[in-house]
Amino acid sequence: MSNFTPLKNWFVSMGSSPFFYKWSSSILPWFLPLSLLSLILSLSWGIGFAPTDYKQGDAYRIIFIHVPSAIIGQSGFVLLSLFGFICIVWRAKIAGMFLRAAAPVGLSFTFLALISGSVWGKPTWGTWWVWDARLTSTLILFFLYGSIIALYSALDNKPKGDRAASLLSLVGVVIIPIIKKSVDWWQTLHQASTFSLTSTPTMTSDMYFPLLACVLSFYMIFLAIVFSRLRVEIISRELNKNWVKETL
Amino acid sequence: MNNSIGLKDWLILIIKKDLLFSFKRSTTYITPVLFFLIVITFFPLVLGPDKGLLSSVSAGVIWVAALLSSLLAVESIFNEDFNDGSLDQLLISGEPTFLLVFAKVFSHWLVTGLPILIVSLVGAGVLFLSVTVLFPLLVSLFLGSIMFSLLGALGGALSLGRGAILSAILVLPFSIPILLLGSATINAAANFQDYSGYLFFLGAILAVGLPGICLAITEALFLNYE
Repeated sequence: MSNFTPLKNWFVSMGSSPFFYKWSSSILPWFLPLSLLSLILSLSWGIGFAPTDYKQGDAYRIIFIHVPSAIIGQSGFVLLSLFGFICIVWRAKIAGMFLRAAAPVGLSFTFLALISGSVWGKPTWGTWWVWDARLTSTLILFFLYGSIIALYSALDNKPKGDRAASLLSLVGVVIIPIIKKSVDWWQTLHQASTFSLTSTPTMTSDMYFPLLACVLSFYMIFLAIVFSRLRVEIISRELNKNWVKETL
Repeated sequence: MNNSIGLKDWLILIIKKDLLFSFKRSTTYITPVLFFLIVITFFPLVLGPDKGLLSSVSAGVIWVAALLSSLLAVESIFNEDFNDGSLDQLLISGEPTFLLVFAKVFSHWLVTGLPILIVSLVGAGVLFLSVTVLFPLLVSLFLGSIMFSLLGALGGALSLGRGAILSAILVLPFSIPILLLGSATINAAANFQDYSGYLFFLGAILAVGLPGICLAITEALFLNYE
């Protein structure tokens, strides 16, 4: 147990906004360039050097943008509700600020997944959009992000907006599996499952590793953006505090 | 002799008061019904009076119209009680708050959900939905309209004093699974397939959602008192 005490103390002190601000000041100057660099490297690895697909030709290469952004969009919502839980249960102010910092970024990545999927669908399926189960549930995820952003931006009282949005994100994370299930049923009932991303030929390692690198660097850039936004949120919220005046 | 009020009295008082208020102000229960009928009327006007086409889209049309019209009165669930202070009395009553919240939601359903449930029979008639489908339509709408009232109350509690549009935007994405399952029930019944699975799933959502969303509503209401 005692081995974990430093880690726990560190985690608890992350709840204090001055501590986080100072910690992120030491992290971001190298983390942001590093994540940008790894994004450029892994994207050029995937788009420039990975082998061409025998069926889809070079059109498949958008997978290196599409799949990571879809993964970020989904896990971003889980992260959102995790911090929403912390905000509701332990009333940690910084968790609510994290929610505000992360929600628009998650919305953007979900939007990127929808757009890139649409661009990918045109050459391979011959259409910009189909009412496929996966596409539909991603669209609904986009709307859920939208309703959370609409809620906290409508409430003028910031801590109240944080807590309200946290509550909505918690309801959302419970309802996402139900949405997935019901959309699957709806789709299988009405039309035969003609397109599925899972039934594409299994990848060779030449394609798998660049994809993995892309996913990791998307995660890094997501965190870097969210941390930067969180710093701005902290400063704008605690402008009257002494530590801000001393730091700036 | 004993003039302290118990939980049961609170529940009865809440439902009685809400029903009386909406009965005196007839717009609360007439507006959703009228809105439902007008939306239903638009579809034959837009799509043409073709019987086959109308009966194939009628399940979805009835469900969407029921969802939209149940959202109309969402604002009134907590807004007036919040403004005149009777919501404060509920929250400091010392009784389990989420049960009192459930009483509010239930009386809202009695005023908006139940009339829509009855009028949906008219909607099914004018959209040429086949008679065999009436039973699954009523059962699924019964389960679904309670969920709509719950979600609407959550939206109303979160956006207290902010207007109906915001609460509609909050609620609509969350009501998608209910909409899908509801129209899937009716479509399965119309194709003479087994529809009981969808009803069970709707019931399961209701069984989880009823306590869960009532707790969330309570939490959302307390946010307005800080």
